Parts: sequence; C-alpha cells; structure tokens
Amino acid sequence: MIATLHSWARRNLFANLIDSILSILIVTALGWLLTVFLRWVIWDAYWQRIYESLRLFLVGQFPADQTWRAWVALALLCTAVGAVLLPWSRRLGVAIWLIACGAAVFVLVPPGLDRWGGLLLSIMLTVVVSTASLPLGILLAFGRSSRNPSLRACCTGYIEVMRSVPLILVVYWIWITVPLFMPEVSISSLARGMIGYTVFNAAYVAEYVRSGLQAVPRGQREAARSLGMSNWTISTEIVLPQALRVVQPALVGNVLDVFNGATLVFIIGLMDFLRAGQLILVDPAASSQTNEVYLFMFAVYFVIGSAITFGSRRMEAHMHRSTR
Amino acid sequence: MIEAKTKLWRSSLATPSVKRYVARVRYKLTHGAVVAAVIGLLILIALAIHQNLTSRGIDFSFAYLSAPSRFGISEGLAPVWTGWAPIFESVDATSSNLGMLEAGLFNTLKVALLAITFSTLVGVALGVLRLSTNWLVRNLAFAIGEFIRNTPILIQLMFWYFAVLLQLPSSGSATKVSKWLVVEQSGVFLPLPHLSDSAGPASGFFVAVAIAFLAAACLRRFPARWRIALLGVGLCAIGASYALGFGINLDWPVLGRFGATGGLHFTPEMSAILITIIVNSAGYISEIVRGGIEGLAKGQWEAAAALGLSRGDTIRDIVLPQVFRIIIPSLTNRYISLTKDTAIGIAIGFPELFNVSGTVANQSGRDFETVIVVMTIYLLLSWLISALANFVNRRIALERA
Repeated sequence: MIATLHSWARRNLFANLIDSILSILIVTALGWLLTVFLRWVIWDAYWQRIYESLRLFLVGQFPADQTWRAWVALALLCTAVGAVLLPWSRRLGVAIWLIACGAAVFVLVPPGLDRWGGLLLSIMLTVVVSTASLPLGILLAFGRSSRNPSLRACCTGYIEVMRSVPLILVVYWIWITVPLFMPEVSISSLARGMIGYTVFNAAYVAEYVRSGLQAVPRGQREAARSLGMSNWTISTEIVLPQALRVVQPALVGNVLDVFNGATLVFIIGLMDFLRAGQLILVDPAASSQTNEVYLFMFAVYFVIGSAITFGSRRMEAHMHRSTR
Repeated sequence: MIEAKTKLWRSSLATPSVKRYVARVRYKLTHGAVVAAVIGLLILIALAIHQNLTSRGIDFSFAYLSAPSRFGISEGLAPVWTGWAPIFESVDATSSNLGMLEAGLFNTLKVALLAITFSTLVGVALGVLRLSTNWLVRNLAFAIGEFIRNTPILIQLMFWYFAVLLQLPSSGSATKVSKWLVVEQSGVFLPLPHLSDSAGPASGFFVAVAIAFLAAACLRRFPARWRIALLGVGLCAIGASYALGFGINLDWPVLGRFGATGGLHFTPEMSAILITIIVNSAGYISEIVRGGIEGLAKGQWEAAAALGLSRGDTIRDIVLPQVFRIIIPSLTNRYISLTKDTAIGIAIGFPELFNVSGTVANQSGRDFETVIVVMTIYLLLSWLISALANFVNRRIALERA
C-alpha cells in the first residue's frame, strides 16, 4: 500500500525537478486557501441568511399554502427523469416523461404562472423548453436536409439566423412583440419567455439532430427503400431512432445549456434562482452576506450542472461501448 | 411468348414513368406550398405590424435613426466621418440614434476582440496544462474548466461585478497593486503607451520602414543571408527614428485624492464583462484544445520522442501547430458565441449593442425597426467571423492525403 502510494507519487507528483517544485507550491497554496476558506465557511459565514431566504431561493413568490404543489411537481419530475434513465422500452420512457412533465406543469399552474420563481422557475423552464424544442428541432433538421430546395432554404435560413443572434435578444423581442401581434389576448411573461426560448433553442437542437441524421449510414435508407417502405416510414422508423441515439449525449448537454441560459430571463422580469439571490442582496440587512449568497448559488448551479454533464458523459461512454 | 415479354417490358416501363410523373407533380406542389406558406406568413406579420403601427399613428421607417437620441451612455465611441477617415468621438444626448447604436457596437467589438485574443491565450495554456505530467496541475486545470462550463455565465458575471469589483476599496483608499496595475472600485487602471511629443512625421516614416523590414526578416521564405540583411536595415531604421525623436512613453496611472487618474482606464462594468468572458471562454477553449490534442495521432508523439525531443518541445513544435489546424472550426463557433455573450452586459449596465438598442427602442418607440437593425448587425458579425475563419482555415488546413 505504502509502496504503491510511493510509486504513484513518484510518477505523478515528483517525476522531475520542475514537477516536484510545482507540486510543493500547489500543495502549499491549495492548503492555505482551503484553510482560509474552510475557516470562513465553518466559523465566520452567516449561513442563517441562506436558511431564512431558502423559500425565496427555491420557489420565489409561490403562495406559501400551495407549497405542496411544488413538492408534487418535484416528485413528478423525478419520476420523469427516472423513466427516461431506466433501461426499458424507449417509447414507454418518453411517454412517461411527457405525461409526468405535463402533469407537473398542470399541478403548478393554478396559483398563476406569474407566481413561479426561484429554482422552481429555472427547472420548469428548462424542462418545458428542452421538451418543446425537441420536436421543433427534429422538424427543422429534416427540413434542412430535405431535397426540396424551398423548404431547405427556409429551414437553413431560420437555423442560421437563430444561431447568430444572442438568446437574450430573441427572448426579449418575442416578449415585446407577442402582445403587439395579439393585443386582445394577454399571455403571461413566463409563457412568452418559454416561447422565445423554445424558438431559439430549436435551432440548436436542429443542428444536433442533423449531425445525427448525417451519421446514419446511407445503406439503412436504401435497404428500407428496397423493402418497399414509404418515405415517412423510413424517416420515422429507420433514420430518426438511429440519429437520436447518436446525438443523445449532445442533447443532454443541450439541456445543461438551456438550464444555464435560463438565468437570462431576468430581462423579461422573471425571478429565477439567480435573480432571487440578487433580490436578497438588495435588502440592506443582507448586503454584508454577498459571499455567502454567491457561494450558495454557485454550489447549487455547479451540483445541478455537474449532474447533467455526468449523465451526458455516461451516455456517451455507454454508446461507445455498445457500438463497438 | 415474345408478345408477353414485350407486354411485360412495356408495363414495367409505363408504371415508373407514371410514378415519376406523380412524384414530379407532388414535388412541385410541396415546393409551391412551402413558398406560398412562407410568403403568407410574411404578409401576415407585415399586416400585423402595419396594423399595430397605424393604431399608434406611426409608419414604418428608419428615419428615426438620424433623430437625436436624448439619452446618454457611460462609455463608447462612435465614428464621425470627416473626409476619408473616421474620427472616434464620445456620444451624448445630442447624438443621433444611429450614433448610439454605433457606440454600442463599438463597445461590443471592443470586448469581443480583447476577449477573443486573451481567452485564446489563456484557454490554450489551460488546455496544455491538462496534459501535464504533474497530477495536481492536470486535475487543477480540469477542475477549473469543469467549474466554468457547469455554471451559467451570468452568475459568473454577477460574481465578478458585484462580489469582486464593487467590493474593492473605494477611490479614497485605492489599492495600488503595483506600479503597473491599480485596481479600485472605479475600475482597473493600466499604463497607456503613447507617442512622445517630439515624434514627427519623419521619425514615423522610419518606424514604418523598420516594421516592414523586421516583418520581412521573420518570413522563412527568404534565404538566411537576406534575412540577416533585412534585420540589419530594420535595426538601422529603428536607430534613425530614435535619433529623430521617436519614442513611446507610458502614461502611468496616478493615485489621487479622489481615485486614480491617467493611464488606460477600464470602467468596472467593462472590466467585469471582459474578465467574465475571457475566463468563461478560456474554459471552453481549453476543452477544445484538449480534444484536439487527444485526437492527434499517437504516432506524432512517439515519432517526436524517438527523435529525442523533450515533452515541452514536442507540444510546442509538433503538437500545437497541428492541433490549431484541427480545431479552427470549433474555435470559430466559440468566437461567435463569445461575441453573442457580450449581450449579457445589460445585466450590469454595460452599454453594449443589445443594451443600447433596448434604450433606443424604448425612447423612440420604434421596436420593429430597431430589432431589424440589431439582428442584422449580429448576423453580419457572425458571418464576418466565420468568413475570416474559413479564410484562415483554407490557408492553413492540412491536406488530407
């Protein structure tokens, strides 16, 4: 044990003079930083502030007597994620995902879309936008790789325009212009934000799906045609499932992008997780707890982000194993 | 028998031709339907815009761009054309709306160009560190990249602005980190190089000559003897220009009672967004570089080792030159996203293009026109970056044998 540890250190920390000096320097610096940091975290930091504002962080202005709805939605979302992760029939998993996510939205709607906030808003926005932009993205991807030149031009133009403008601009302008087009219907800010974000994200999903479509060997299409299948059947039953399987890790990575981009909805006045933290800091009583609030938010974002990245990497590794 | 065969042959010809005819008709129908649908949608949107504008009593025009803006922004220069060369001047409430948008674009470009340069440097360094022989260095670089990529860029911006830059000592007790760098609440100050007063046009001419000759001396296509001669001429030109009074002075930041003055001043907003985008993009670029290095054939490393090159020399002379050629498309995508990321400057009040356009639209009530202008500018920026990258890529791409 000691011997292996010793040889490991010889190889990885003290291979040559420069490595040895670097190792010693880094260990000293990291040790000092960690001591200072831990001492602050344990003794000096005022975590009471986070504890007191936890409600605002997690659900924002959601009515207190309706909190059970948030718990039910959380349970439903866990079911949805579980259903997709379990290695049973893909179709069943997707069906359960759709039903559970729909039910979660349904459960949360009664207090009003304007009352959603905090982490609840960030997560629900991510779920709705990633789910809604998948079918739209698939349609756009097929359109862009279609043989019909007018359809191809339209889809290519849409994708290229959406991919070259910032998300914040799309969300903001759709939020502004939707009421101008439909003055008689009032649509809540959140719904408009979701529409804008979906419209934007669909272009990215389309590019991932298209790369998957290109990865499906030509022979698959030709074999299906020689069996007498129609174009529709070939696309939906032969090409698409294989394409989606290839781009699955990239699509999960896109969910992380959606989650990270969801912070930008502050521009249309929604209070997501990050905005909730800033609102807490606006309160003069909390202004000296800047570090605590930012550390907490970074930690939450990092844990959720790492979980999604981990899932995406596992999928990729699994795919490489199974296709070998 | 023969007749039957002929019949079979005929029928087998007839069916595909009918099929082909049907297919052609269907193809034209879908073609027409798509075109009609798009035109219909555009007309519908145009009608809705028209109706909306007439109900507000205004018509669709871009004339508002030349009207005075009646608002100010904290920083940003707009080009003023006097003759053939633009002069950059700061904008104020009397400037036109177009001038405001130009100042916003100026800020966006300023941040984007600086961020592209520095995030590439930092990102490549971080990517190479991930292949260090030292376990600690390797994993530290990995952890930093992972942390950056798994948290939203907006919270990073908020952190740098509110938790770092605005928590710095205020002007009265500014911190002087060194002679070179002053950091305080009102921003970051660096020394600014500028021409000495005694520099005249003649010395400027010699400087240009020196630069041209020294650049030529760096080109490998000339034989070594030529290059030495070019180097000599270049050095002589430098001497001549120095004798004629050319010099570069540094304008040092000076600590005063009310904060630092002089030198190159970055406002806290500018500093925050620049730091955020550089650090964030460096995280992504390090991943791109690492992927490129790992995608390189193992034989390259082995061949370099067989030739007796050290690890550092191998990375610098063998690996990185090839990796850069592989990763140019990914880097281009990163540069485009980075340019779009500058739009989050609105969260801290940095007057970049998106922020300014929002104010222009609010002040003038011209939402549709402004969104068209701004989207066009962002589109052109993206196309410009990818066109440049394609040009570079075509020049240096490895030929696949």
